[in-house]
Amino acid sequence: MSNDHPLLSIRSITRRFGGLVAVDGVSFDVRPGEIFGLIGPNGAGKTTLFNVITGLIPPSSGELTFADVAITRRAPFRIARRGIGRTFQNIRLFSDLSALENVQIAQHIHERSSTLAQVLGLPSARRDDRRTRARAMELLELVGLAGRASEIAGNFAYGDQRRLEIARALALEPQLLLLDEPAAGMNSSEKHELSAFIRQLRDQFDLTVLLIEHHVPLVMGLCDRIAVLEFGKLIALGDPASVRNDPAVIQAYLGDE
Amino acid sequence: MSDFFNTYGSLIVFMVLNALLALSLYLPLMAGQLSLASPGFFALGGYIAAIMSTKVFHVEAGAYPLGYVLIEMLLAALASGVLALIVGIPSLRLRGIYLALATIAFIEIVRVLSLTLEITGGAVGIFGIPQPFGTPLGYLWLALPLLIVAALAIWRLERVRVGRAFNAIRADELAAGAMGINTTYHKVLAFTLGAILAGIVGVVYAHVLNTWNARQGTFEAGVAYLTYVLIGGSRTVVGPIVGGLALTALPEVLRSLGGESLPTWLNNFLNSGQSIIYGTLIVLSTTFFPQGLITPRLLRFWRRTRASNDQ
Repeated sequence: MSNDHPLLSIRSITRRFGGLVAVDGVSFDVRPGEIFGLIGPNGAGKTTLFNVITGLIPPSSGELTFADVAITRRAPFRIARRGIGRTFQNIRLFSDLSALENVQIAQHIHERSSTLAQVLGLPSARRDDRRTRARAMELLELVGLAGRASEIAGNFAYGDQRRLEIARALALEPQLLLLDEPAAGMNSSEKHELSAFIRQLRDQFDLTVLLIEHHVPLVMGLCDRIAVLEFGKLIALGDPASVRNDPAVIQAYLGDE
Repeated sequence: MSDFFNTYGSLIVFMVLNALLALSLYLPLMAGQLSLASPGFFALGGYIAAIMSTKVFHVEAGAYPLGYVLIEMLLAALASGVLALIVGIPSLRLRGIYLALATIAFIEIVRVLSLTLEITGGAVGIFGIPQPFGTPLGYLWLALPLLIVAALAIWRLERVRVGRAFNAIRADELAAGAMGINTTYHKVLAFTLGAILAGIVGVVYAHVLNTWNARQGTFEAGVAYLTYVLIGGSRTVVGPIVGGLALTALPEVLRSLGGESLPTWLNNFLNSGQSIIYGTLIVLSTTFFPQGLITPRLLRFWRRTRASNDQ
């Protein structure tokens, strides 16, 4: 796959809620291996676009292609299985389950033994279980939660819940990772660490990352390319420098200077 | 000892069967689906047993062969499973209280059909269902293995992929979908497994009762099973079993508390105040023990204390 060949292709996606056009004819491509930022003022339609990409809400019109396969209007679980993992802006962990179970659940699709073999506890099932458990522990270690695997996810502090959500999304072994405001509620040194961590994830797992973020310095420093949404419309697209100097963006998002 | 079993034989069998019915409600609840459909499948299983044993298999004399009962159980499992797919696929699109209402509608349909159809004996029902055992207690040979197998299977199920998917759907259906879990498939699976169990229990129940009619498997029965689960505990397989066993025995225990020395009103209450006591227990347990009496935390605590005692 050449670098120009898009991994995710968004074509004229529109989503209306009654009279409100939350996403209005948005088109752009996300290339393999890049960290792509999606920014815009509150209510610009960023999370709606995420929900459309992951199948949680169908688009009113437009087409989505992921790794050369049309995924428009597919069920969320099918899109996830194709290789798109995500986190949520308003954290959605399985809050009454342990951290380990949260991550193991997302490995669901990578278990090969049959349910009957698992219920009977046959050797193949036990191997599977050991493998997913070990893998889940690795991912918890990666996000710094290995020592707290058996704790209930709902009891974790906000920042730890965000990191657990990332571990859970990685358990899907996605090609594309969507992060919805991963730095929300973090202080500036934590945001710095997060930037480095997202880069590390991209390199280590061969990921493509699409992220929504409000904190402009973080996005400018981290992302290879940035798309700017305002009132559901794409108003700018390009590398951080060109987006930063785009008059429409300065007007709409960064404020008049 | 044999006196005890002669007196309480049928009570013990009903305790075990009701624990199984509680499990049939617990199964969809594992995936977060509040379904009261169990009585409908229970009624269906009972009618299959009643019709097969009185109209299809003709046994002239002696005990009814156990093999026939097993065939009836197999048929009831198949019929309940197929019906559960037909009912479950559309109705599991509904959530929470709406699913509960749809399943109540389903048991009403089953009830009205069994009142009007000829094959189910109309309002009179079906009489003289033959007995495979000489005493009521003999049914434990069917009921107890059934309870053990069902409990072990569910206990294992909760610890593997499918059970984890059920838990995920219960915790957050939308996030479960985003993690690659086919939520519709798993909800229908949990519902169907519960239905199959209820249908099989219906077969045994019909033989124990000797008669089957539209008063079996009503909405009230569904509420009773729900009571077993809510009070026993809705988060571990042990909960519904304890709830089913204990609450079935409760009326008998209360009755035995009464006697000559007590005032009449208290005796009356102990004999027939069962609904009042159930209702009070539901209110108290959901207020003070929202997960029921037997919770996963309690089980972990027991396990730890036992482990530290062993050392």
